[in-house]
Amino acid sequence: MIAGGALLYLTIRKVIYKQIDDSLITEKTIIADQLKHTDTIPDFEATFGHQIEVRLLDNHVRSTQSLKDTDIYDSSSDSFIPFRYLHSTGNTIEKKGFVITIFQTLSEKNELLKDISLYLFFLFFSLLLISILINYLIARKLWSPFYSSVKIAGKFDIQSDKPLVLPSTDIVEFNQLNDVFTTMTRKMRDDYLNLKEFSENASHEIQTPLAVIRAKADLLMQQKNLNKDSINLVKSINEATTKLFKLNQGLLLISKIENQVFHEKKQVSLKKIAESGLENYKEIMHLKKIKVEFEASDEAIVEMNETLSEVLISNLLSNAVRFNFDGGFIKCHIDNKYLIITNSGSPMKVNPEDLFRRFHKVGDNPQSVGLGLSIVKKITESYGMSITYKCKDTIHELKLRYHSRSV
Amino acid sequence: MKLLIVEDDRSLSRSIYDYLKLEGHICETSYTFNDAVSKASVNKYDCIILDIGLPDGNGLDLIREMKAQKLTGGILILSAKSSLDDKLVGLKIGADDYLTKPFHFAELSARINSIHRRNNYLGMNEISFNEIRVNTEDNQVYVNDRLLVLTKKEYDLLLFFMANKNRIITKESIVEHLWGDNVILTDSFDFVYTHVKNLRKKIVAAEGRNYIKCIYGFGYKFVDN
Repeated sequence: MIAGGALLYLTIRKVIYKQIDDSLITEKTIIADQLKHTDTIPDFEATFGHQIEVRLLDNHVRSTQSLKDTDIYDSSSDSFIPFRYLHSTGNTIEKKGFVITIFQTLSEKNELLKDISLYLFFLFFSLLLISILINYLIARKLWSPFYSSVKIAGKFDIQSDKPLVLPSTDIVEFNQLNDVFTTMTRKMRDDYLNLKEFSENASHEIQTPLAVIRAKADLLMQQKNLNKDSINLVKSINEATTKLFKLNQGLLLISKIENQVFHEKKQVSLKKIAESGLENYKEIMHLKKIKVEFEASDEAIVEMNETLSEVLISNLLSNAVRFNFDGGFIKCHIDNKYLIITNSGSPMKVNPEDLFRRFHKVGDNPQSVGLGLSIVKKITESYGMSITYKCKDTIHELKLRYHSRSV
Repeated sequence: MKLLIVEDDRSLSRSIYDYLKLEGHICETSYTFNDAVSKASVNKYDCIILDIGLPDGNGLDLIREMKAQKLTGGILILSAKSSLDDKLVGLKIGADDYLTKPFHFAELSARINSIHRRNNYLGMNEISFNEIRVNTEDNQVYVNDRLLVLTKKEYDLLLFFMANKNRIITKESIVEHLWGDNVILTDSFDFVYTHVKNLRKKIVAAEGRNYIKCIYGFGYKFVDN
C-alpha cells in the first residue's frame, strides 16, 4: 500500500512535470517561431504571463534545449519558490542566435500535488481502516463457532454427568473438528464411566463373597476339637479377609468421594471433631503412654460433609498414634487457618508427596493397607483444603490448611 | 426368637442360618423379594435380616411394604453397599439397624439381640447370666446384686460377650464392635486384651466367676464351665 502510494505520488508528479515541460516547450516553440520572423523581441511575458527572458545574440549558436529545477528568491514572501525553467538556444533565419529562458513556478503545481497526495493518503488510510475492520468482523463471525467450541471444550469435565455437546455450524471444517472433538470426548467419557462403574461394581460385588468367606471361617472357628494347625489356618483366613475388607472399604470410600456421594454439607467444627477423635483414641494413647497436648484458639468452622470430616480427623489421628512410639507425644493445634498435628515417631526417609499416594506403605506393618493418607488427600482436595507433611528427625508434622468461617 | 433371613446369596444365607440356629433361634430363609413379602405377611418374625440388593426387588421396598401392612418385628438391613444414603433411607423408613457386609457373626448376633431388646422392652430390659445381671435401660451391671462400675467400653464388651455366649469371638470383631470399622490400629489387639483383663478383674472382684475364656489363636469365649 505504501509502495503503491509512493508510486502513485511519483506518477502524478511525473505527469505534472511532463505537463509543465510540454507547456514550456510549446511556449518556447511559439517564441522561437516569432523570433524567426521578427527582429524585435515582443513582450512575451504579457502574452504568456510567465517570466520569460529572451536575449538576441550576434553570432550563430548551436541549438540546445534543457529543462531544469531551480529555486528563486522571492522578496515579497522572503522565501525561495521552486521554479521549473527551460533554457533554450536557437538561431533565427538571419543566422543570429538567441537564448530563451522560460520560468514557470512550481508552487501551484506542488500545492496541487500536495493536495492530491493528502487526499490519496486519507483515502488509502480510511480504506486500510475499513478493510481491517471488515477483516476483523468477518474473522470474528467466521471464527465464532470455533471459539465457542473451544470455550465449551475447555470447560469439559470428564467427571461431570453431561457429555460434551458442541454447537453445529455452517462451516464444514469446524463441523469436522467438532465431530472429532465430540467423538473423542465421548470415547473418553465412556471409558471413564466404564472404569468407574467397574470399580464400584467390583468393590460392591466383592463384599458378598467376602461376607461368605468370613461367615464360613466364623463357623469353622466355632467347631470343637480344632487342632493347632487348623486354628492357625482359620486365623490366617480371618486376617486376610479383614485386610481385604479394609482395602475394599478404603477404595470404595475414595471412589465415593470422587463420585461426590457425600454431597450434603453443613457447618462442622473441626475443634469438636478433633476433641471427640482424641477421646476415641484416649485409651489406646494411654496404653502406649502417649502424652497429648491439645490447644485450640478457634472453633475452626468449615463447611463440609460431617462424615468426611470425621474420617479426615480420625485418619490423621490414627496416623499420629500408629506411627508413634511408646512414651511419645501428640500435639494438636487448631486456629482459624490451620490444624496442625505434630507427633513423635521414627524418622522417615520419604518424599512428602509420596506419603499421600495410594498404597504407599511405611515400615512393614502387615495391617496397614496404605490408604489412610490418600483418603485424607482426597477429602482435602474435594473441599479446597491443602495438606502438607514435614518431618524433622523424630518429629512429624501434618498441617491442614482450611478456610474457616468465623462465627 | 423367630427370624427370617432374606439373602439371595445362598451360601451366605446358609451360613447365617447355621450360625443363628446354633444360637438357638428358629430361622427361615428367603432368596427372593416376592418370597420374603409373602412369608413376612403370613408369619410373625421377631427380626428380619434383610439384604437390600435382591434379584427381583429392592429390600427397602420390603420395609415399606411391612410398614404399610403394619407388621411388627425388627428389621436389620444387611447390605454390600455401605453408602450413607441407603443407610439413612433404610433407618428413616423403619429399619432398626444396618450392618455392612462383610460382618462378623458375633456382631450380627449382638445387633439382633439389641433390636429384640429394644422392640420388646417390657420385661426385656434385663439380661442375666448366672450371677451377672445387666439392665440395658439404665446401663447398670449387677454381680450378685451388687452394682459393678464399668467404663463405657467395658460395658459394651460385656454385653457383646453375653450376646455371644458359648461362641468364639475374635479380637477383630471386638475391635470393630467397640470402635467401629474406621479404626485400623495394629496395637488395638493389645487394647482388647487390656479391656478384657480389666472386665474380668472387676467381675472376679465382685465375687463373680470368670466366664471369659481365652481361646488360642482366635480370641475369647464367654462360657459357663
